[in-house]
This record gives sequence, C-alpha cells and structure tokens, in this order.
Amino acid sequence: MTAWIDAGCIFIVFFALAILATYRIVGMIHIFALQSFVLGCVPFFLHAEALSARVIAIAIVTIVFKGILVPYILLWAIRHVSIRSEVKPFIGFGLSIILGSLLIAGAFWVSLSLQLPGKAVSNLVLPCSLSTVLLGFMIMVTRTRAVTQVLGYMIMENGIFLFALLLFDGMPTLIEMGILLDIFVAVFIMAIIINHINEEFERAPVAESRSETGESF
Amino acid sequence: MKNIFQLPWQVPFGEISFKVDPLSLLFLICIFILVACSGIYAAGYLQPYKGKKPLGAHIFFYCLLVLALVVIVTANNVILFLGAWETMSIAVYFLIIFDDEQASVRRAGFLYLAMAHCGTFLLFIMFFLLSHAAGSMNFDLISRVNLSPVLAGTVFILALFGFGVKAGFLPVHIWLPHAHPAAPAHVSALLSGVAIKIGIYGICRVLWMVGVFPDWCGYMLLMTGVVSGIMGVLYALGQHELKQLLAYHSIENIGIIALGLGVGLLGRSYALPLLATIGFAGGLLHVLNHSIFKGLLFLGAGSVIQKTHTGQLDQLGGLAKSMPITSALFLVGALAICGLPLFNGFISEFIIFFGLFQGLLTLPLAGMVACVLGILFLALMGALALACFTKVYGTVFLGKLRKELVLSIRREASPLMIAPMLVLAGLCIWIGFVPKYAVNLVILAGEYLSHVAASSINFSGILVSLSMVNNGFFIFLVLVLFLIFLRRHLLKKTPVLVISRLETWSCGFSQVTSRFQYTSSSFAHSILDFVKNILFLRRHGGRVKGDFPLPTQMHSLVRDAAEDFVFRPLFSRLAILSKKIDDGRIRYTQIYLMYIFLFLIFLLVWKMR
Amino acid sequence: MLIGIFLILIHWLFVFLLAPLFVGLVVKVKAFFAGKKGPSVFQPYFDLVKLSRKQCIYSQTTSWVFRAAPVVALASVFVVSLEIPLGILKAPLQFSGDILLLAYLLALSRFFMIASALDTGLSLEGAGASREAFFSCLSELALFMNFITLACLTQSISLSEMIGVNILIPWNLDPVLLLVVASFFIVLLAENCRIPVDDPDTHLELTMIHEVMILDHSGVDLAYMHYASAVKLFLFSGILVMILIIPFQTGNPVKDMLIFLTGMLGLAVLVGVIESSMARLRLNRVRNLLLIAFALAFFGFVITIWRG
Repeated sequence: MTAWIDAGCIFIVFFALAILATYRIVGMIHIFALQSFVLGCVPFFLHAEALSARVIAIAIVTIVFKGILVPYILLWAIRHVSIRSEVKPFIGFGLSIILGSLLIAGAFWVSLSLQLPGKAVSNLVLPCSLSTVLLGFMIMVTRTRAVTQVLGYMIMENGIFLFALLLFDGMPTLIEMGILLDIFVAVFIMAIIINHINEEFERAPVAESRSETGESF
Repeated sequence: MKNIFQLPWQVPFGEISFKVDPLSLLFLICIFILVACSGIYAAGYLQPYKGKKPLGAHIFFYCLLVLALVVIVTANNVILFLGAWETMSIAVYFLIIFDDEQASVRRAGFLYLAMAHCGTFLLFIMFFLLSHAAGSMNFDLISRVNLSPVLAGTVFILALFGFGVKAGFLPVHIWLPHAHPAAPAHVSALLSGVAIKIGIYGICRVLWMVGVFPDWCGYMLLMTGVVSGIMGVLYALGQHELKQLLAYHSIENIGIIALGLGVGLLGRSYALPLLATIGFAGGLLHVLNHSIFKGLLFLGAGSVIQKTHTGQLDQLGGLAKSMPITSALFLVGALAICGLPLFNGFISEFIIFFGLFQGLLTLPLAGMVACVLGILFLALMGALALACFTKVYGTVFLGKLRKELVLSIRREASPLMIAPMLVLAGLCIWIGFVPKYAVNLVILAGEYLSHVAASSINFSGILVSLSMVNNGFFIFLVLVLFLIFLRRHLLKKTPVLVISRLETWSCGFSQVTSRFQYTSSSFAHSILDFVKNILFLRRHGGRVKGDFPLPTQMHSLVRDAAEDFVFRPLFSRLAILSKKIDDGRIRYTQIYLMYIFLFLIFLLVWKMR
Repeated sequence: MLIGIFLILIHWLFVFLLAPLFVGLVVKVKAFFAGKKGPSVFQPYFDLVKLSRKQCIYSQTTSWVFRAAPVVALASVFVVSLEIPLGILKAPLQFSGDILLLAYLLALSRFFMIASALDTGLSLEGAGASREAFFSCLSELALFMNFITLACLTQSISLSEMIGVNILIPWNLDPVLLLVVASFFIVLLAENCRIPVDDPDTHLELTMIHEVMILDHSGVDLAYMHYASAVKLFLFSGILVMILIIPFQTGNPVKDMLIFLTGMLGLAVLVGVIESSMARLRLNRVRNLLLIAFALAFFGFVITIWRG
C-alpha cells in the first residue's frame, strides 16, 4: 500500500504545481477537484488493514465536499459574475514555476529535520503535505483575482488535511466535521463576497498583458 | 617533477628561485603557444601602422610581458612573484593603450590599471598573512605549514578577490569588457588567452600552498564559477560589438574553469582523491583549451575588424564569401568554445561534467546540491553559448552584408595573420581527436594540486570514457565523409537544370535587401526577454504607432550590474571624497608626513606589546 | 573489432529501417482522427526516395555551411543512435558519461542547422533559428534534470545502465519514474517539433521552428534533413519506451523485442493523438511548458534524494 500512498501524495503536489502553471481559472478549479478526489482516496490506502466506517465516511465526505461541492460553488460564482477567466499573476508564470520548485525543495529540506510521532507507513506524506501548504500559500500571495485566492486557501486546506491524516490515527470525527463545516461556510461566504468584489475588480485599470506591436509573440 | 633553480638576491626576503612543477608546466605551455601565435599575427596586423606609431615601444612591452609571465608562473618566492606581477600589469597597460589617440582607449587602459592595482593590494595583504604565518617567503616552505581554518578562509577570500580581478570573476570583472575592444587584436588575444589565466594560476598556486581549506571554500569557488559563467554568457548575448561579446564570453569560460576548480576543492575537502583530481584536471584542461580557442577567436575578430573598420555586429555580414579562410577558422573556434564534439572544448567540459556527476553520486547532501546546480548551470551555459556563437557567426560571416562598407582591396587577411590562426585551429582539432597527451598532462597537474601521490588513483573510468568518445568522433567523421560522397553520387544522376543558383525564396518579395535579415539583437531577443530583469535590459525607441508609421529607430542596451550599480557609484563617491581632501588646505607634503607619522606610531605600538 | 563493426551495422540497420515507419504511423493516426484514410504508413520511405532523386538548388547568399548542415545533422543523429539501447539490441557505444556525448552531438547538429538558417539571409529562417536557440536552452535544462534524476536512481552515468534492465528500484507504479517519463515526454515533443511546441505539417513560416529552418533545403539535402528528424524522433521514443517497459521484461529475446515494438507503436499512437487533439501553444506558453517539464524532473529528483 505504501506505493499507492506515495503515488497519491506525489499526485497531490503535482496538481498543486499544475494549478500554479494554469492560465484559465476554470482549468484551475477542475484540477483542484481532481486533487481533492485523490486526497479523498488517501485515507483508504492509509487504513487499508483496518477499514472502519469512520474512515470511509471521512473519505467520502472529503470527496463529495471538496471534490464536487466546492468546485461547483466556485464555478457558479464565476459564471454569475462573468469575470474574465484569465489569471493575472504578479510575478509571471515562468518565475512562479521556478519558485514553486524551489518551495518544494525547501519543504523537503525542512522535513529532513522534523521528526514526528505516528506510524511511518509512508515517509512521503509529511514533505508532500508541507509542499502543498507552501504552494497553496504561494498561489494565494501571487495571484490577484479573488477566486484564485480562494483556491489557494483551499489547496492549503488540502495540505493541512493530508498532514493531519498522518498524525491522528484515524481523525477524531468531531474535528473533521468541524473543519468541513468551516470550509463549507467559508466557501459559501467567499462565493457571496466574490460576487461583489469581482465587480470592483472589473473596473480596476487593467494593465496590458500583450506587448506592444513591434515585437512578435 | 620539480626542478628548482636558485640564485641569491640582494632584496631583503627575496631570492631568485624558480620552480617548474606540473602546474607551472601547463601554464608555460599556454603562454608559449599563445605568445608565439599572437606575435606572428601582430607582425601582419601592425603592418598598416608602420611609420605612424612607435612600434618599437609596443614590441618592447610585449617582450617584457612575456618575461614577466614566465617569471610569475615559475616563481618560488613571494617578492619575485609580486615583482613580476606588477611588471605584468604595467606591461599589459602599455600594450592596451596602443591606440591612445582615442579617449575611450585611454579610459579603458586606466580602468584596467586601477582595478589591477586594487587586486594587487589585496594580494599584498594575502601574501603578508601567509608568509607571516609560515615565517618565510618561499612558496615551498609556506606549503609545509598548517594554517588555522580562520586564516585559511581569509587567505581564500583575499585570493579569490585579488586574483579574481585579474581572472575576471563576476563582481570585479568590469575592466574586461572595456579593455578588450580598446586593445589591438593580438593584445586582446594575449589578454584573454594568457593574462586572465594568470589570475587562475594564482588561485591554483594558493590552493596548492595552503594544504587544508575549510569546506565552505569549495562551495564558494563553485558558486563564483556558476554566477560568473551564467551572467557572463547572458551579458555576452546582449552585446552588439564583436570584441566586447568575446570579452564577456571569456568571463563565462573563467566561470567554467572556476567550476571545475571548485569541484576539485570539494573533493579535496571531503577526502575524495578521484573527485579532486578530476575536478582540477577538468578546470586546468579548460584553461589550456580556452587560451587556444579564445586566442583563435580574437585573432579572427581582429582580421574582420581590420578589413571592415567596424566591430558592430549589426553592420557586418556575409564575410564568409569574401574571407573564406578566416571564416572557416573562426567557425572552428566557435564550435570549440561551445564545447561541441570533435573539438577540444568538448573534452574539457566532458571531464568537468564527469567530475560533477561523480560528486553528485559521492558527496554528502550539501555537496550533492552544489553539484546539481553545477550540472544544470553548466548545461545552460553550454546552450546559451551555442545561441551566442550562432548569433556571432551567423551575423558576421553568414547571410548578406548589412551595411555597405568599404572593404579593403585585399579580400582575405595577410598570410602572416592566417598562419597563427591555422596553428591554433589545428591544435583545437588535435586535442579534440588525440586528447591523450593533454589529458595526461592535466591529470598530472590535478594530482599535484590535490596533494595525492602521482599515479596512485585509478583513472581507468574516465580514460576509457575518453577513448570511447574518441571512437565516437571517428565514427562521426566516417559517416560525414560517406554522406558527402553519397550526396555527390546521387546528384550526379539527377538531370541538371539550367539555373542552379538563385536568390533565396522569400515568398514572392522581389526587392529583397540585406535589411530583411535577422540582426544580432533580434536573434537574441527571445532569450534576453526571458531574463530582462536580471540583465537590466533597456530598450529605447522602436514603438510603432499608427497605420502608416514613420521610420523609427531602436536601441537596446544591457547594463552591467556590477559596473553600473556597484563600482560606478563607489568610484564617483571616492572621486568626490578625494576632491574634498584635495580642496582642503592641507598640502601634499603634510599628507605624506602624516602617513610617515602614523606608520611610526603603529611600529612603536606593535613593538611595545 | 570486427564484431564491434558488425554490431554497429546491425544497430544502424534497425534504426535505418524503422525510423520513417514511426513517422508514417504518427501521420496515419492523425489522418484517422481527421476522418481521412490518410497516406500509407510507408509513405515517408517513398518521399525520401523521391527527394533523393531531385537536384539541390542553392541560393546565392549561402556558403558551404548551408551545404554542410544536412550532412552534420544526419551523421550526428546516427552516432547518437549507437548509444541508445533499443529493445534487445545493446548500445554498441556505451560508456560512463555517454549522456554527455548524446546531448552535445544533438547540440552540434543544432548549431549547424541554426547557422544554415541564418545563412539564407532572410527573416523567416532567422525567426526559426532564434526560437530554436531559445527553446533548446530550456529543453537542455529539462533533459539534464532528467539525467540527474536517473543518475541518482541508478548510481551510474551511462545511458544503457540508466534505462536498461539494471535500474535499481522496483518498478511498481513508482511515481518518480512517472514524473521522469512525463518530463521526458514533454522534452520529446519539444525537441522533435511536435504539437504543442511546433507544427510539423503546416509550412506557414510564422508558426514553425524546425520546418522553417529547413525551408530552403531541397533535393538530397532535404531528404537528409527529413531523415535526420525522423531518426531523432525514433531515438527519443526509444529511450522513453525503454524506461516504460522495464517491468515487463520477460528474459525471452523474441518476446522482449515484440514488447519493445508494441511500446513504440503505442507511443506513436499517443503522439498522434496529442497532435490531433491539441493546438500549438503560443510561443511564450511553450516556454512555460518546458519549465513545467523541468519542474517535474526537479520534483522527481527531490523525492529521489529524500528517499535515498
């Protein structure tokens, strides 16, 4: 099972990196849905021997909420606000990919010195969760549109969830439910706020993303 | 194999002591090859100046430079070394300002002299520290003393900056891009091929003298190499003038040499003799190779500039047809400098890469990270150098002449100028195909530098690889010949058309001029655009407005960060400060008396303790 | 010595015969997606024979470099083929560090192609040359990052040992190799000028990188150029397939060869599918694609060091 957990963790980080490199917000939301789906499958692999109802419930709730509901709400928010679904980062895509790679390396380096209790089923879970948190943070910081910042927050949340999976031997249900409720309410509120904020964003002076004539592509 | 030749000398602490060891031998070979070729070239290059300029003085300083170089490389004593070092600096200064009627040449020469002396000042401090710790000024005796890590570290930093000024490491390289275009071609070749390498020789000598360096020195040398290499080649891509571009390229290659030396030093710090030897050997082989192909390139550039009276890339073009031999030899130099197979550049880069991969597999984590960075940046440097030299070769020699220039009546350069280029190109090809002798020499020097006994390490890995590389080259040549004959055979069977030479198909345009071609800046545009913030690329003009725009001009400029943001402000502040002191009411005699007074107090305090 | 020459000739014969077939397969898959019957899979062979019977027309602006480029391109790609193990054929030229000779031989052919493009003295070829110079920097970075990861995995720097049967970790859905494969696939698409990096079909000058550099070649020269790009695609695919089929090695030579050929077929279909379902990216997006390839390989490397 270790191989499947490893693969899952790596895919989660890969998807976070893919979101960093995507141009269209709709694409970002779809990749986020995929990431939450993979994240929901990880508890199955972690507790493969002792599959209890609680573990199955957590996994299914994660998949349904973060994999289906939240992306649906965000897509609804975008559709109703009719924003231009192009991402405008502060620091350019090339540089953000390079910085993202450096952040992943940094997360792995930090994990070298972190010794955590808990069973060592797979030693990739810790650094991958840390990388996801850092990448989510980076998305939040460097993207200007409100929806993308919400997505960054959600990715951070995914990373923290992955981390918590490792620590708690089957998460206490109450904590998990509490977190999910927080997420649900937060996204709901954000969807409402985006509705209004994005109208502000629309009227802000738009910097030219295309270069002047005289230079080709 | 050390041979020591000694004579007594009246200078206090000084003795005339020469030593030829494997390290000196390598640099002596570099010096002799390039001095001979440059000298013969100069005989042809200086022909137009006969009677107009004092050639005798120029030749005198040339010979003085050669003498100084030989003494530096074989000196075994601090005073002798420093005396020869100063002589070399001054001789180079007089050689650079050959065209001293132009103000820019004088400025470039003065900048070189000022920077060289700043470096020499650091060297004085470093040698003072070393000989004080060892109690002697003899290199051999200094090498037997163990230094504390703090002292070793300080010596390393001083050596890095002091010799780095001469070598051209990045922050202190600013004299290079001015001195090379200003100097005549053979002097540029000598500067880039030999004088810069003397800085590297100095660093190698210090690396040999001090037995144990702290670990961070290896990392610092490697990082300096990486930074110099990448920034050097990026600046080179943004240049418009042929010799300035080649000067920045020298900085890149010095970076590669420092990279190899850094790997060697890391190997020495972590007690991995194979890694140390391979690293040093790669760096030293690149020293030899670079002097050969850079000399070749500068001599070629000199021929071009003498024929066309301009070095601006965007005004040249199509010279392959009027200067066929020079262009073919320049191509050999360009292929060699990019590290492409069949030539010597590939062999030295192969050895350095081999060392880096060995380091990747055997060093601890920090070393592994450094080696990964080294490999990635070395690969990137190779690709960028390829872009740069296709730009140079394509813009200068291929295509069509961009601006109508008055070419000299004699189309090809004189035989005196072609012969040394032929020799250098032949050496490039020879070392590429028969690397055995050069590799044995640098392995000997590498072992000497890494303080291991000669022939105690098993080099079969790399020697087998090099022989297989050789086999690859021969197979390649056989294939090339086969394909050429096949093509000739196939073409003989085709029916011959009446017209077989036409203008290039340009999608129906009938008025194709030379302005249709890509200029050097447009070729490099995509790469420079990617890194424009690192290079402080500035574009002036070029905005086209309206439906029927008027003719407009564009000018792009790469600002050298070290020069514009570090040294210019520093020097201007110093100038203001010295002006303030000058304007004061203190006279010069009083200032010198004050210096003597301060030194007297210092001596008293020192001896009192 | 004689056995060595014999092995070299066998290796070359294999590559010589199968490379155009690979290109033909890709074209056939694209035609299938377009709803057409498409040319026969052996069409590239006929094209090459046709071209070799035509005369070369040279422009007045060009020099001998233009005439040297096709020869150098084809020769370098054939020497590279000697270093790559294909199926059960071992690489005749394998040694520690042969990855460097591989990368730099490709760089040599690239130098001559760029020089020949600049030699024609026209802006179209100059555009292609400039882009090729830029993208090759990025794809070299990604390629070397892949090599570094494979070197750390297999503790050796010879290509045959990296992708041959002595790869050290058990191939068990290992994501690191998946990352390397994904990154290498993007490099394959970039170096061989497939969509999404470049369009090998259209001859519109502004959309091409590779095609526009060989725009002015004709006759036998063009045959050499097309053959060289076909062989290069075949070799890159060969490396990729060799990495992918490691868990399926059976030890029986005939079966292993069949598995390898099936893998090549599958890869040709995949390339064709990607070419049919995507459009060519804008050129500054291509730059980001190559950086993503680098980031994937870098991630794989970080995981490799973390594990070992």
